[in-house]
This record gives sequence, structure tokens and C-alpha cells, in this order.
Amino acid sequence: MEPYIIWLVIAESVILVLVVAVLFHKYEELNKLHRKIGDIKDGRGEQKSYFDGNADYVPIFIHELRAPLSVVRGASDLILKEAASMDADQIHELLVQIRENSDTMLKTVADILDFSKIGSGKFEINVVYANINDVLKEEVASFQPIAKIKKIELELNLNEDFGNFSFDPLRLKQVLNNLLTNAMKFTQEGGKVTISTGRYDHHASITVADTGIGIADEDKERLFKPFSQASNHTKVRERGTGLGLVIVKAIVESHKGSIWLEDNKPQGTKFIFTLPL
Amino acid sequence: MFVEDDESFFNIFSVPLKMRGYEVAHVADGSRAMDAIMREKPDLVLMDIILPGMSGLDILKEMKENLDTKEIKVVMLTNFGNDENVNKAVEYGAEDYYMKYNVVPSELPEKIAILLGETPDTGIKVTG
Repeated sequence: MEPYIIWLVIAESVILVLVVAVLFHKYEELNKLHRKIGDIKDGRGEQKSYFDGNADYVPIFIHELRAPLSVVRGASDLILKEAASMDADQIHELLVQIRENSDTMLKTVADILDFSKIGSGKFEINVVYANINDVLKEEVASFQPIAKIKKIELELNLNEDFGNFSFDPLRLKQVLNNLLTNAMKFTQEGGKVTISTGRYDHHASITVADTGIGIADEDKERLFKPFSQASNHTKVRERGTGLGLVIVKAIVESHKGSIWLEDNKPQGTKFIFTLPL
Repeated sequence: MFVEDDESFFNIFSVPLKMRGYEVAHVADGSRAMDAIMREKPDLVLMDIILPGMSGLDILKEMKENLDTKEIKVVMLTNFGNDENVNKAVEYGAEDYYMKYNVVPSELPEKIAILLGETPDTGIKVTG
């Protein structure tokens, strides 16, 4: 084990801890502010559907950040203290865990920051004239390796009647990434995930359909609210702040589009969102 | 025995235990934990609180109310450190309560050896 790798691991861990500490401090202030607002006002108009002014989200965020942090800290500790009695493969696996859990923390931090912007009405998109088919092809291609590993068929059906219009390509990628990640997570081996586009009045519609375990009717509305992973998903619970679909909804609605979900008969779920052309 | 749904956490924290000669069983689903504990009769259970199927606190309560499992030592190992959870764990009879982010894997074998009344590094095996 090269000493610089150990120092890199330590430096990465320290930076992550500092980021988390700053974020907790910032978010605690935000939560206090929202509790005060909740006492004064009954609602926050449209934003009430995203953000409960009386809810204390800090313990959930702390838990979601501590989980990967515990793994990063634990793996670093093992490398520092037990490396002499480990082989190269074991050390490599620990470094992979550090990297993956650091990525999870960064994604969680980004989600929390987006969520705080949504809650404070400061969430913004950056609309440019771009080609949606290019964005879809690129994003779907990035999921092909994991689809291959999970033996899931991943299909892209594009409607070539339209392509160029005004939207935020980075935020659209974030929407697709979230919907595809969920679809892949809840689809079993041998299943299929299909992404298709269509025209709906003066809107582009994008559908992400899977043949996964499906979502119960009572969970469908709840899914777009913070920390509401569907009950029939709990057996395969995976990490996440439960903010993904809240952010997805905010992005779509910032484009003046809509998002909803339907059963993908005979099995699975379809998420459909529209963007004005 | 580890009752833990986070594979990464289990993989890392079980390494030093195995290196010290402990046999470490793993259950990831809370609803299957009680059956596994009854079957394996481990000397000690390291129990997460938030689990799919059944919470770690409910499993602890059931263990301590069951004559066949009440003597098995239980350490709650979680990232939720609020007073309510700690108080419940104490009330239900947990031997200890560790915050995951406060424990490093290399310290775990010694803590467990002390709880089991062993001299650290004796390599006495925990069955299960």
C-alpha cells in the first residue's frame, strides 16, 4: 500500500466530515426558520406540497449522512491498522467502499442543498435551446453497463418528430438519472426498462416504464413528498434521502411541466413527465 | 451475529472480528432475525435499529422476553442516537448501545471480548 493512497483516503474523509458539519449547521438554521414560518403561516402556496414547515428533517439527514460516513471511517481505520495482514484484493475492496460511500455522501449533500432551495423558494433552472434526444441517448447509454450486470433489458424509443426546444439539459439529466436509477433498482433480473418519448398537445412527454414490483395506489401520491419511500419497497430498502422524486417534481414543474405515475400493466410502474415545446 | 441491512457496514465491521477468530453470522432482514437467533443461538448479537421487515428494538424486546434467547447479549449499533431509542434499548435489556460513526472496526473485537467476559485477543469463538 503506497503511503500517498492512505493520505488521500484520510484527506478525503476529513473533507467529507467538514462538508457534513457545515451542512448540518446550515440546515439546522434553515429548519428553525421553517418552523417559525410554519407557526406564523398556515401554508406556503404551491411549495407546501414539497416542504412541511413544521417538520424537523435534520435527524433524517444526519442519519443518511452518518451511514456512508461510518463505512468511510471504518474502511480507512482497517487500512490504517490492519493493512499488514491483508492482501491486495482486500485492500482494493476497502478502497472501493470508501469511493462508493464518498459518492453517496456527495449525492446526499447535493440533494439536501437542492431541497433547501426548493423549501426557500430559491430553486432555479437554466433553460437553453437544446436537443432532448441527445440528452436521452447519453443518459440511457450511461445505464447500459448496470443493465447488463443486472440482466435487465434497457430500451429507448424516440419520437423523431421533435428534438430541439428550450429546457435545462443538466436538470433534465438529473430527472432521467433519478427515474432510471429507481426503475433499475426495483426491476428484477430478466425485466425490462423502456424510455419513450411522444407528443402531447404542445408538450413533449417522456415515459420511463419498468416491469418491477409496482407501487400500491396509496403510495402513489406520497412518493412525491419528502422521505416517503413506498411501503412495498422497504424489503429492498437502499440508501437515499427520500428526496429524489421531490427534486424531480420541482425540476419538471419549474419547466411548467407535469409529472405523474401509472401502473405499467401487467406489471411495473410508468413515470410520465411533460415539458412544454 | 450481525443483524444489519447495510452490506457495506457489515462487510467492513465483520473483518476484524473474523481476523480475531470469531465466527460471524449475518442476517439482513429484520423479519428473519428472530428465527435465525433461535436457530443459531449466538453468544452476542450486534443489532441495527432501522431494518426492513422488523425494527431492531422490536427484535431486542422479543429476544429478552423469550426464555430461549433472553441470556444472549445484545449490542445496539445504529446511527440514530436519540434519547428515546437509547432509553428503549436500555428498558428492553440491551447490554450496550454504540453509535456506528463513533466505533471503528479495529476497536470492535476488544469491546465484544469485554462484554463476553473474555480476555481480549484470546480468539474464543462466538458461535452462530
